[in-house]
Amino acid sequence: MKVPARIYASEKILEQTESEALEQVVNVATLPGIVKYSIAMPDIHTGYGFAIGGVAATALPDGVISPGGIGYDQNCGTRLLLSEVNESEIKPRLDELATEIQKEVPSGLGRGRKIKLSIGQIERVLEGGAKYLVEKGYGEKEDVENCESGGCLSEADASKVSEHAKNRGRDQVGTLGSGNHFLEIQRVEKILNPEIAKIFGLFENQIVIFIHTGSRGLGHQNCTDYLKIMMRAIPKYGIKLPDRELACVPLSSPEGQNFFKAMCAGANFAWANRQMIIYYARLAWKKIVGESKLKLLYDVAHNIAKIEEHEVDGKKIKLCVHRKGATRAFPPGHPEILEKYRSVGQPVLIPGSMGTASYVLAGTEKSKDAWHTVCHGAGRIMSRHEALRRVSGQDIVKKLADEGIIVKCRSKKGIAEEAPIAYKDIDEVVDVVQNAGLANKVARLKPLAVIKGE
Amino acid sequence: MRYKILNHQADLKIKFFGKNKNDLFQNAMAGMQTALRPKLETKRKKIVRKIRIQSPDPESLLVDFLSEVNYLNEANNEAYKGLKFNKFSDTELEAELLGEKVESFGFVIKGVTYHNLEIRQKKNGKWEATVIFDI
Repeated sequence: MKVPARIYASEKILEQTESEALEQVVNVATLPGIVKYSIAMPDIHTGYGFAIGGVAATALPDGVISPGGIGYDQNCGTRLLLSEVNESEIKPRLDELATEIQKEVPSGLGRGRKIKLSIGQIERVLEGGAKYLVEKGYGEKEDVENCESGGCLSEADASKVSEHAKNRGRDQVGTLGSGNHFLEIQRVEKILNPEIAKIFGLFENQIVIFIHTGSRGLGHQNCTDYLKIMMRAIPKYGIKLPDRELACVPLSSPEGQNFFKAMCAGANFAWANRQMIIYYARLAWKKIVGESKLKLLYDVAHNIAKIEEHEVDGKKIKLCVHRKGATRAFPPGHPEILEKYRSVGQPVLIPGSMGTASYVLAGTEKSKDAWHTVCHGAGRIMSRHEALRRVSGQDIVKKLADEGIIVKCRSKKGIAEEAPIAYKDIDEVVDVVQNAGLANKVARLKPLAVIKGE
Repeated sequence: MRYKILNHQADLKIKFFGKNKNDLFQNAMAGMQTALRPKLETKRKKIVRKIRIQSPDPESLLVDFLSEVNYLNEANNEAYKGLKFNKFSDTELEAELLGEKVESFGFVIKGVTYHNLEIRQKKNGKWEATVIFDI
């Protein structure tokens, strides 16, 4: 190990965490150029190379970049739309709204969108991200302003993304994907920090729309392509690794630079994807609810590598911060935060497992100990097979209905696999984040309708 | 037994078997395709796709092969139930995949991982390998 491993957890969460995940945190600590710690968030579970919930920063220029430190789903992330209405106003039309959104926003599994973009259009999306789509009329100015990195990383280079990846993405812009990806209509159940909530525009019983999805097949292929390239390139750089899946090269190398540019393009694709989803969600909203607005609070990635400046031993240095199943949480005063949020910290969006709570938090100064990073969700603790054995999708849908939660899905099997018992308790995970001083809870959100794609 | 879907905390873990490596690869594709839960189109039109893979070692060849099949599944909305090797070695294969169009898949394979992957021959001469698919 070049640096220590640091795991943010409670006693109970540590007991739930499998030893393989902890070994992965230790393995990451051997990466060339790693600075200070190999970090894990409380939603940690076993991944490939890096654990999910893993964070590692490497020093430029020769510290490494590793696709496993981002994950197959490049820029998997979340965005939260805020409405002007409250629960009682929406309740009579909630089912209608959920049905309409499900119709507008497909999962994309075999049935992608009806429109298949050309390779040229995909390349413009790869280099322009959400910003390009808003310029084309698929959103509002604030959608770009309120998005991490303005919804577009300028380092993106579409020529570094393979034809395979571009082909996979052609009918996927505006699709949710599968597994734990979702769109939820939620209500603000409780305001936990009134001062920050006011600045974010949150109020109790407000209706909000929470979206969780990523770069779909394009990002997955992008990661696969570069893992292959890096595994073959490692011997050139004399890098020895305890795990093949930690394949990495110096960021300054041709392979490292190509991967970074390709990853930025994949990230832009994910932002474009989430932008199209809210475009379609807004269409559904207008049809069922009327003219009231849905404004973007924030969009943040939880599978990404960013070049950031951080203070290390009293000096400001540039780092490549890998966040894999981990969410950036910049503190109050950070220049990259939008001015209107700067006094209170960056909004952080943490989705819970299906039917449980989600959270809005705000970044803190203390989170500099973790490169201004927090968890990304609840963290899986049970296999899909075991979840299917213990519960039926039908029972889950009925239980949620009894709690007043509508579920729109194609497959009840998929619902059972995503049952809350398969995940850690989101309240406990977020408590660790708050108690460690990494972020402040702002609001707790509860689902009213869960949409898993048509 | 051609393959067996095993328990895994977050993703899809399948153990493949074969009387030789060629057979192992056939069963790997079969298991992966079944696990995707394809819903075939009613038209049932037959499709043939040709692939060629070169890799440094057998494990990489298996991962690269399954990754290519995954690409073809998603890019073309097709599932494959037939596989004919025209060339097969530890580091290279050429094959024809026989398949049909699908209406939808049950879920998405994000990546074919190398996690704990080892293609090995058992004492009885049979081959096996366990692959974890990130879903």
